[in-house]
Amino acid sequence: MDNIKEQIMKVMSTVFEVPSEKITENSSPDIIESWDSLKHLNLILALEEEFDITIPDEEVGNMHNFKLIELIINECKK
Amino acid sequence: MENLRYSEILQQNSAMKEKVIGAPYKVKVLANVTINSLKEILEYIFRINQINPVIEFGNYDNIVQDSRMSAHSDIVIVFVEMLNIVSSVSVFFEDINDGMYNDIKSRMCAEIDNVLENLKDCPSVIFNTFSSTPFVTGSSRKSKITIFTSELNKYLDDKKCPNVTLLDIDIIISQLGIRQAIDYRLFNSSKAPYTLSFFKNYVSALEPIILRNTGKLKKAIIFDCDNTLWKGIVGEDGFNGIDMSATSHDGRPFNMVQQIALFLSRRGVIVGLCSKNNEADVTDILLNHPDIVLKEEFIVIKKINWENKALNLRSISTELNIGLDSIVFVDDSSFEINYIREHLQEIVSIQVPTTIFEYPDYLLRHVYKYFNLTPNDEDSHKTALYKQQFQRENDRKKFETIDEYLASLKMVITIYKDDPSFIQRIAQLTQKTNQFNLTTKRYTESQILKFMEDGDCHVFAVSVKDEFGDNGLTAVAIITADKYNRMNISIDTFLMSCRIIGRNIEYAFIDYIMKWLKKESYQHIYSEYISTKKNSQVISFYDDLGFILLRDEENEKHYSINILDYEMKNIEYLKLEAITNGKNAK
Repeated sequence: MDNIKEQIMKVMSTVFEVPSEKITENSSPDIIESWDSLKHLNLILALEEEFDITIPDEEVGNMHNFKLIELIINECKK
Repeated sequence: MENLRYSEILQQNSAMKEKVIGAPYKVKVLANVTINSLKEILEYIFRINQINPVIEFGNYDNIVQDSRMSAHSDIVIVFVEMLNIVSSVSVFFEDINDGMYNDIKSRMCAEIDNVLENLKDCPSVIFNTFSSTPFVTGSSRKSKITIFTSELNKYLDDKKCPNVTLLDIDIIISQLGIRQAIDYRLFNSSKAPYTLSFFKNYVSALEPIILRNTGKLKKAIIFDCDNTLWKGIVGEDGFNGIDMSATSHDGRPFNMVQQIALFLSRRGVIVGLCSKNNEADVTDILLNHPDIVLKEEFIVIKKINWENKALNLRSISTELNIGLDSIVFVDDSSFEINYIREHLQEIVSIQVPTTIFEYPDYLLRHVYKYFNLTPNDEDSHKTALYKQQFQRENDRKKFETIDEYLASLKMVITIYKDDPSFIQRIAQLTQKTNQFNLTTKRYTESQILKFMEDGDCHVFAVSVKDEFGDNGLTAVAIITADKYNRMNISIDTFLMSCRIIGRNIEYAFIDYIMKWLKKESYQHIYSEYISTKKNSQVISFYDDLGFILLRDEENEKHYSINILDYEMKNIEYLKLEAITNGKNAK
């Protein structure tokens, strides 16, 4: 697994307070119970700090599963 | 903490969750914006200070209603964010007419009144000031929003009760810059205006208030000498080679540091020295150097020798009768700092920065965090008090028996009952006293006032004078009668400052209280001992007085005594001079 993937998973596990093995490529608010709208804000802020990026306004609401998060972060890092 | 990433804070916070236990400290956060990311950062700062927080958020933009149900919290934090007030107007604020301006203002003032009224019984309320900084308005003209905000702040400042602390949001925003502090993007989409950097800085600003409320402030600051109080090494550069001049490039920062130490000394902080040097060299500087600011007379304790500093700091703690965790230590040597951090973890060690021009500001930041800087009369002459203490210690050696010595002190104690003029000092004693403290309950000024005003509760305070001087107000007892059975009364708090320990004053004080209770026809006196890390010296206090042990739980011992069974200690050499009764005097 590449580094960015791993880093995202680590942040998600920390923010949602779930063990890291519970975070998969299919993780979404439907699967992770603690992923509500408030925790979603915390996730955005944590990811921005972790990768030193600013996620565009229109993408903030889109990042609702692991694959999209990874895609958008890679986009921002370019 | 500002240097930690959010994810690191989250990890460390959840790791501490299991370890920091103890009585929960109830925190309520009320806000008209979304600030939930604050929660874990706030928890973190409590837990690293060994406090177990229970943090609850009020509903979004429901401050007035929620404040009605929050008075039982230990601390309430109120965020009223102008961004949200302005956006709720839905007209460009600069363009509103006077009628609307006044309508909004009177609505806001009414809300402030309501919140303050609802929280008047809460021990500590943090109210953030209103800020117009997030609104870009240019620096040469005063916008309507700026005027509006300063009017609200003035109103808030005029109306606030003593339990309210105003926290200046503009200072936090200016430390970071607007773009680093405010997230307009998330405000627009989620009404969440603050960045993580803002929250970290905000919580740092809150920390001294938390430390003060929970009795975790420091009592002493101990400085190294060479390259800490002055530039240079006296043993090598000599009396004339060291520099602490207010007007020289090298000396100026050190001169400022000495001024800060002097400022602390005037506010009752114990200032001391711990340095590897020849004592005569250092004393010569303290007495005779033309540029010295922190003169000999302001220094309470000196350990100038070639012993290791952990040993010296330990003996400072013993001689001053304060815990190691009440000490801040400043030194330029990374060897000494690391040695102390390793051997005496309880001590806060501050290393002089290598960029000396930053040294005074760096020291000040710690000073604001760890010391109580609201001056009261008692504090301003504390240095003299501690010096008298040493005089007494030295005299003690001349007498055969301790009673003979105590009698020679010609002590006079004055007891004050429910006297509001001492509220500040009494609250301070409940917050700072650790050793001779039977229950270690911390109270704010407004809580002490409430005890005094309640007819079923009484606050007794003792001041002690002797041959060497006035020790000031140094012991406190709070008693609370059973509202349903007027024969029963409990001793809620009984504490004494370490500066008068060992003089049997506690016995004269409890004798007095018992006499008074008898006169008031109370019959059953209940008391308790709640054990902490520091108060083991009073573990058998009530046993020794003949109280009957009712229950012995893990950390608590509960007692009672029938007033007729109490045997007076009658300490002959303690003279009771006067009794002032605040409630009757009114």
